[in-house]
Amino acid sequence: MGAADVRGAGHSGAPGRLLLMTGALLFLALFLVLPLLVVFAQALAKGAGAYFAAISDPMAWAAVKLTLTVAAIAVPCNLVFGVTAAWAIAKFEFRGKSTLITLIDLPFAVSPVIAGLVFILLFGSHGWFGGYLRLHHIRVIFAVPGIVLATIFVTFPFIARELIPVMQAQGREDEETALSLGATGWQTFWRVTLPNIRWGLLYGVLLCNARAMGEFGAVSVVSGHVRGLTNTMPLHVEILYNEYNYSAAFAVASLLALLALITLAGKSFLEWRQPELRRAAAPAHDRTRREKT
Amino acid sequence: MSIALRGVAKQFGEFAAVENIDLDVPTGALIALLGPSGCGKTTLLRIIAGLETPDEGQVLFDGRDATLWPIRDRNVGFVFQHYALFRHMSVFENVAFGLKVKPRRERPAPKEIQNKVRSLLELVQLGWAGDRYPAQLSGGQRQRVALARALAVDPDVLLLDEPFGALDSQVRHELRRWLRRLHDELHFTSIFVTHDQQEAIEVADTIVVLNRGRIEQSGAPGEVYDMPTSAFVHRFLGQVNELPVQMRGGRAYLGPIDISPAADHPPGAPDDIALIRPHEIEIGPEESGWPATVVAVRVIGPIVRLELCAEGQPPPERLEAEVSRERYEDERFGVGQKVGLRFRRWQVYSANGAAA
Repeated sequence: MGAADVRGAGHSGAPGRLLLMTGALLFLALFLVLPLLVVFAQALAKGAGAYFAAISDPMAWAAVKLTLTVAAIAVPCNLVFGVTAAWAIAKFEFRGKSTLITLIDLPFAVSPVIAGLVFILLFGSHGWFGGYLRLHHIRVIFAVPGIVLATIFVTFPFIARELIPVMQAQGREDEETALSLGATGWQTFWRVTLPNIRWGLLYGVLLCNARAMGEFGAVSVVSGHVRGLTNTMPLHVEILYNEYNYSAAFAVASLLALLALITLAGKSFLEWRQPELRRAAAPAHDRTRREKT
Repeated sequence: MSIALRGVAKQFGEFAAVENIDLDVPTGALIALLGPSGCGKTTLLRIIAGLETPDEGQVLFDGRDATLWPIRDRNVGFVFQHYALFRHMSVFENVAFGLKVKPRRERPAPKEIQNKVRSLLELVQLGWAGDRYPAQLSGGQRQRVALARALAVDPDVLLLDEPFGALDSQVRHELRRWLRRLHDELHFTSIFVTHDQQEAIEVADTIVVLNRGRIEQSGAPGEVYDMPTSAFVHRFLGQVNELPVQMRGGRAYLGPIDISPAADHPPGAPDDIALIRPHEIEIGPEESGWPATVVAVRVIGPIVRLELCAEGQPPPERLEAEVSRERYEDERFGVGQKVGLRFRRWQVYSANGAAA
C-alpha cells in the first residue's frame, strides 16, 4: 500500500487533518505559550532596572540557591533509587513486585500537602522522632533537611516510572549476552544497560528536576517560610505575590521558567549532538519479548 | 568440550519446564534440540548456558560439575533468536565487546583486538559493515554479527536459541548451510534449539526431540525420521496421514488393505493407528488398490501434492499423497479422477502413541 493510500484511508481527509492540527496548536498557544509570555511580560513590566533589582535581591538569591541545592540533592537520590527499582522490577521476578510498583506510584496519588504533613508528623517537634531530634539538636522540619525530604518524596516516581517500561520492553537478552561474553555485572550495567536506557533516564531526570525545583505544596508545609533561609523559589514567588509586589514576583517566576527552559534546551542540544545515539534509542521494531519455552 | 546432563529438572511455578533429562553431547558435535513451543528446549539450552539453574540434576562440562558455575565462567557463546545486538555500538564494537571486557591481564592489545574482529567480520562476510550500526543491517546480517560476537571469545560451546527463527526462508536456508560449514571448519561443540524439523534435519548430526519437558527420542536425523519410536515424533518430523487400524477376522486392515502379513507388526489392539507419510502412498490405476478420488492437486515446485478421498472414509477426512513432478507430468492426475492407493510403508502405534 502506497503512502497516498494510507493518507486517504482514514475518514479524516485533508480538511480533517488541518482542523486537528489547528486545534492542537491553538490549545498549545493558549495554555502553554501565552502564560509563559505573560510571565516574562509581567516581569519586565516596570522596566529592566526593576527586573534586575528584583532578581538581585539577596532574599531572591537565597531562594534560588536553596532551590538549586534541594534539586541537586533530591535528583541524584531519586536517580539511584529509580534505576535500582526499575532494574529490579523489569529484569527479575520476585514476591511483592506489584506492591513495589504500587508504592512507587504513591506520591502521584497522594496530595503533596499530605506528604508534607506526614513529615511533620514524623520529624516535627511533637512527631514520632521529634524528641530524639531535639535532644541531638538536629532540625529537620522548618529547615533544609525537611525540604529535601519532602522534595524527594514528591519526585520519587518520575525516574522509576520513566525507566520501567523502557527496561521491560528491552528484556534481559542484552544483559544475558554481555554476561555470556564474560562481562562482569558492573561492566554489563555501565556498558550495556545504561546506554540502552540513557534517553529514558535523561527524560526522567529532567522531569524529576523540573518538579523538584517547582514543588510547592509539600515544601510549603515543611519549610516554615523563613525568608533567606527556608524559602525556595516557588515559596518566594508566593510571598512576593501576597505582598502585592507583582513585578518582583514575576521576575523570580521568570527565573524559574528560565531554569526549565535551559534544561529543555540542554536536552535538545545533547540529542542534536549525537544523532547516532538518537537513532539507537529509537524503539527497536524487531524486538519481541522472548517467549518462555 | 563435551557436555552432559544428568537428571536435570526445572520448574517455573507449577509448570514443569523440563523433567529428568539425561543427555550427552560429545566434543565437536552439532546437536539440535527439536520440539514444539513449550516443550522445554529453550529452558534446557539456558540451563546449559548458565542462564537458568536447574532445580535438580547436574550439568557436566568435560566431566566436571558445572551446575552452579556463573555464565561468564562457562566460556559458552550464546546466540538469541532476536540477535540481542547492542544497539548503541557499531558492528565492530559489538564483536569486540567480549575481548574488551576481559580482565586487564587477559585482554589482548588494541591492535590484536582489531585484527581479530576484522577477521571474524570477514568470516561472516561482513568485512564492510564494521562501522555500521545494527539498525542499518538486515536480519540475516544482524544474526551473522551476533555469531561473530559469540565466536570472538573462542567459546568451547556455541549455544543458539532458534537462531534463524526470525528470518525469511531464503536467508534461513543460506544461514543454515553456512552454520554447518562454519561448524565443520572450527570444530566447536554446538547445540541449537529449533521448532523447525527441516532445519534440524538439514543442520544437525544428532536430533533430540523433546515433548512436554522430556526427551522423546534422539539419534541421527535419518534414524529419527525413518524410525520414530512414538507417534509424537512421527507426526513432528514431517507430514503424516493417520488411519485407524481395523480388525476383521483376526487380521489388521487399513481400509481394504491387509497389513497383517508384515511380520514386525503384531496383530494390534482395536485403537491402533497407522501413520503414513505422503510420499509413502503409491498411486496407481483404480483397480490396483484402495479406490480413491482425487479432490485437489497442488504443484509445489519439484513435487505435486494430491488430496485424496478414499472409499469408505468419512468425507471430511482426506489423505495427502506426494508424487514427483515428472510422474505428475506423465500421468496428469486431475480433480475427480479415480485412482487406486497402496502404501509403501506405514508405522502402527497404539492409542497412547507408543510404537506397536
